[in-house]
Amino acid sequence: MRRMPSLGSAISSLVAFAVGMTTLLSLLLGDNPELFGEQPGREILAERIAAPGDVMLRLATLMVALSIVLGVANLLHVHVLRLRRHSLTSAVLLASFAFTLYWHVAQGDATLLEAVLVPIESALAALLCLSLVHGASRVLQKRADIWGALFVLVVIIVLLGSLGLAELAPVQTMRDWLMAVPVSAGARAILLGIALGVIVAGLRALLGQDRAYRG
Amino acid sequence: MDQTTVQVFSVLFVMATVVLLYTARFFERRRRQRAQRQMAALERLPAWTSQSIESSRPLHLSLGASAVGGEDTPSALAGAEFFYHLIQSGAAGDQAPTISTSSPTSVPLAQDTARRAWEGDSLLSARWYPPGLAFAGGLSAAMAEDEAAAQILAGKLGPELALILDGADRGGSLAVSDQLEGQAVAFAMADETLIGEELYAAAGYVSDEASASRVAVVIDVWRGLLIIGLTLALLLAYAGILPWLSWQLLLAAVVAATVLGLILARRS
Repeated sequence: MRRMPSLGSAISSLVAFAVGMTTLLSLLLGDNPELFGEQPGREILAERIAAPGDVMLRLATLMVALSIVLGVANLLHVHVLRLRRHSLTSAVLLASFAFTLYWHVAQGDATLLEAVLVPIESALAALLCLSLVHGASRVLQKRADIWGALFVLVVIIVLLGSLGLAELAPVQTMRDWLMAVPVSAGARAILLGIALGVIVAGLRALLGQDRAYRG
Repeated sequence: MDQTTVQVFSVLFVMATVVLLYTARFFERRRRQRAQRQMAALERLPAWTSQSIESSRPLHLSLGASAVGGEDTPSALAGAEFFYHLIQSGAAGDQAPTISTSSPTSVPLAQDTARRAWEGDSLLSARWYPPGLAFAGGLSAAMAEDEAAAQILAGKLGPELALILDGADRGGSLAVSDQLEGQAVAFAMADETLIGEELYAAAGYVSDEASASRVAVVIDVWRGLLIIGLTLALLLAYAGILPWLSWQLLLAAVVAATVLGLILARRS
């Protein structure tokens, strides 16, 4: 038997639908007076159609900016609860948070950022490079098929072609062709697929078919 | 194409997609008769879920940097829908799954997904980490401590995915990203990979709900039409008659397709 939606989910679906469709149509049709032919006051009409979209986008930007507080609150909440399990990582994180906050308020400078965070981020970036090389070296272990072999072959050609050595000019030509034709075509195909998925998933949410609104 | 043509085409495309979403039932019935397109990457999910239940180790799910309120809102919603059905299928275990994100606006979405899908205590389920490399570093440490049974990463993930997957050797891993760099890393390093639009269709494959599988149907229909359209455009361009293609022609084609869809829906 089909379950009846609750009043709350019906209202949230309705609000999502109304706001979403208004914003969508406003963004799609706004700011183009030519759409109204020679009708008098067409510039004002185009601006009015674009206005709701602008307002909603500004509101969204404001909410995104404020949401960082929510993120920090979640981080602290999770790690305070994890302290009950005697998590050493959580204890270190909470102590670091308290110390950083105290330092920033008491000293008012960015020493901790420059002396601790920047080197750590740099170290992680270097580690990322190693992880990528490690991952590429294990492709044939994980994917022992023609696609895995092709992946490794392309990686080698692109890396060698990027060296810029005169002796490797043919490899460089091959690299340029790979980047311009198959890689570009593949990337476009993936992006087209993603765009289709985005449109369908977005419209599904606007139409209230998404679980986030259905409760 | 001028701006008016683009706008008209966009509105028609959106309207046609809405019609397709409502009429997908017909295509879906036909599709079930000839078996659903397979996604081999999803076949290991039941085994990972069982492993999580038997070993009392949590599943780790991640939305990456997909943010509600940003341009990647659909990927956040699609990832949350996928995770909802995945958590439900493993709801018999005693370890609540964790859903991580580096976007603070996605924290309520992650928490709500876990709360609705998981019957037990899900207070610790949603976890936020700062974006970028800090996300990868924090997540790797937390996952090592939690000994996650499997990592399923679906959302906006960049090259930092390499650090996360490098630390995921103790369990299985499935990754898909809406970023090209992340997608390449996922292909090289994850045990299983979904590609491109499969992120948005995945929920339909792990769910029995008809409404979830309709997304996969609509994407498949559009993809088929896109392939036909691109092939036709290529042939027309090759023959030197592409300028003949106009928005009036596109309008006629979309109206015809919509009417056809409505007729088929009524007959179904």
